[in-house]
Amino acid sequence: MKRLHRFFQTPEAIAGALILALLVAIALAAPLLFPGDPQAIAGPALLPPLQNWSLPLGTDRLGRDVLAELFHGARTSLAVGLAAAAAALLVGAVVGTLAGFAGGLIDEVLMRITDAFQTVPSFLLALAFVSIVGPSLGVVIAAIALGAWTGPARVARAEVLSIRERDYVAGARVIGMHPLEIAFREVLPNALPPVLALSSVIVAAAILTEAALSFLGLGDPNRVTWGGMIAEGRTVLRTAPLLSIVPGIALVLTVLGVYLAGEGVVESTAVRRSLS
Amino acid sequence: MSGLPISRRGLLAGSALLLASTALPAIGRAQTPKKGGRLIVAADSEPRNLNPAIVASNGVFFISSKVVETLAEASFDGKDGLQPRLALSWEGSADGRSVTFKLRDGVKWHDGKPFTSADVAFSALQVWKPLQNLGRTVFKDLEAVDTPDKLTAVFKFAKPTPFQLIRNALPALSSVVPKHVYEMGKIEDNPANNAPVGTGPFKFAEYKAGQYYRLARNDAYWDKDEPYLDEIVYQVLPDRTSAAAALEAEEIQLAAFSAVPLADLDRISKVPGLKVITKGYEGLTYQLVVEINHRRKELADLKVRQAIAHAIDKDFVVKTIFLGYAATATGPVPKNDPQFYTADVPIYPFDVAKANELLDEAGYKRADDGKRFALKLLPAPYFNETKQFGDYLRQALAVIGIDAQIVNNDSAAHMKAVYTDHAFDLAVGPPVFRGDPAISTTILVQSGIPDGVPFSNQGGYKNADLDALIAKASETLDTSARTGLYKEFQKMVAADLPLINVAEWSFISVARDTVGNIANNPRWAVSNWADTFLAG
Repeated sequence: MKRLHRFFQTPEAIAGALILALLVAIALAAPLLFPGDPQAIAGPALLPPLQNWSLPLGTDRLGRDVLAELFHGARTSLAVGLAAAAAALLVGAVVGTLAGFAGGLIDEVLMRITDAFQTVPSFLLALAFVSIVGPSLGVVIAAIALGAWTGPARVARAEVLSIRERDYVAGARVIGMHPLEIAFREVLPNALPPVLALSSVIVAAAILTEAALSFLGLGDPNRVTWGGMIAEGRTVLRTAPLLSIVPGIALVLTVLGVYLAGEGVVESTAVRRSLS
Repeated sequence: MSGLPISRRGLLAGSALLLASTALPAIGRAQTPKKGGRLIVAADSEPRNLNPAIVASNGVFFISSKVVETLAEASFDGKDGLQPRLALSWEGSADGRSVTFKLRDGVKWHDGKPFTSADVAFSALQVWKPLQNLGRTVFKDLEAVDTPDKLTAVFKFAKPTPFQLIRNALPALSSVVPKHVYEMGKIEDNPANNAPVGTGPFKFAEYKAGQYYRLARNDAYWDKDEPYLDEIVYQVLPDRTSAAAALEAEEIQLAAFSAVPLADLDRISKVPGLKVITKGYEGLTYQLVVEINHRRKELADLKVRQAIAHAIDKDFVVKTIFLGYAATATGPVPKNDPQFYTADVPIYPFDVAKANELLDEAGYKRADDGKRFALKLLPAPYFNETKQFGDYLRQALAVIGIDAQIVNNDSAAHMKAVYTDHAFDLAVGPPVFRGDPAISTTILVQSGIPDGVPFSNQGGYKNADLDALIAKASETLDTSARTGLYKEFQKMVAADLPLINVAEWSFISVARDTVGNIANNPRWAVSNWADTFLAG
């Protein structure tokens, strides 16, 4: 409770949390408010916003409801962002823990692999992966996670390196626990908080990467994505600029919200740490 | 200052107006051809192989038709719709076994060697017939080319070949390449494929990957007065939205092949100094076609194909996707073709109820989720419009309970998936009608075509009657009988739907109004531009 209270003390965190809450509400409400296919043709093409109240944001080049697409696009963006971040954190934490706890050759090998991944720009990696395997939601998530797990891995390893020298770890060794059990039951849970602090950055980056992939036509073509909406709107940028601007604003707000909320979490834990 | 009736700004505006008014007659006068100048045009793709004798496609012609010439070019008012280029006249024999070309005298290759009938014989026998994507069909029975003298080439065919077909094929298929450049080594690997040598009004000068192609004036061109331009630069602008901006900024003077998106045309037509031209593509009609993989058991059923045809609102496609710059299609020959088109074919009006009924009759009832079956839909990535039609088709099929999943590929992967691997159920393709159904239209439905031939029947469709009709038409010499057979062909295709023709469209050019002699033949964008000029 106290932590939550501390979290809501900074205005940034409140703003971030509000935006995120709104976004989650939009994503959850999308199938209720706009049942059926959001890509169905709902009216005349290129209807400007605020002309027809059943289509408040107007329609795109094919006459699809922009608001419905925006709502359903929130689902894709959030799903990809969260799933990719979860995958990256999981892989990163496991690799980092193994490397830090085992030390020696295993550490060397795992960290060199991490280095190798880190030297390749993550967007390039995602681009190459999707264009080889073919675009679908799962592939896009995997592609983004592929470039994002190295940060958590390095942080987890550094944390594990300090924790493994603690007395309770030595104690666990003495009572004969399996090293893997020590690593994942005793060390990892304690090494997690700084790793989790990376999550907001990863989620934000993942949402942006997904949008960029969709913009380049490498998103899942059977789903509405904000990046895809921007790309499609681009062909009519001069005549109907809102088709690109609206999903663009949604994207900016989302990334901002995730980032601010993440900052809030980091700050509140930092305060707790300094207090304890 | 404020007390003065004439402000400085007012004075400037006034004098500018005066200047403009005196400049007006100059603009009017400027439309007489003028020598010199560099024409900068937008190029949206960078073909690697620039040899039009091997790759007869508009992307290649756009650049290399200025360098490598054909025997004849399409014309609005010439006899049989042709005007002479390297050939001055052409004559078919009554038995359909030979065609005699009289060639132009005094033509020189860009390297200074004289152009002779040996070059024509070499091009026809060594390049068009064995290597060219379209020539393989049209010249399949070409046996020999006799060259009684330097300016006569006589094509000899093993089987009677309709002269009408050869004539219609001349503008696109008869690019003549120099024998002395190509006779050594493998023709496909010849360096001249990337830096073509021809007889045309422009020489190939330079190519910088990702930046531009540059063509320079051929001072020794056979028409002494032409070309008017000193240089043509193809500025590579792969981003379609940038062409309009580049035109407005006067960085380029011409954007052909609808490089300016259709949605921008209305706005751009109001920009002073720019003009929108819809003419000059009459001989390059693209067809929006739903390609069908008949290996899928659902799609092998005629009722399902009819249902899909009824589910497509062609008027919507023309109005919304093409913004009116297209026409609805009735069959495999476009409405604007003067020789072969017939409207007397089965038609499939937009009728969702009928489509649902047909699918029910075919035994594909809706499941509890409202879906009948799922399909893989591959829209060709070449045009915005093919991609958008893919999105539309998905929705149109969803309405009748067919769950189409779109698979997006880049150009190379799309070619492979559809024409080699057959990994599609439905595909959206843009085949081209080239003035005669035998050139590139019958292969869309004919059986027995090897895997990997692009824009051909790779859907596994086989109809013995249709094959027989195509074979008969290919040997029919009499022009009116042949035309009649192709009318029958249109009826059969529309009735059995090996593929679904949705719309026909052509391209739009946008140019600065200083560019003269635009769109003066039906294949203007891919003709030689010898008489194109820059005024002012």
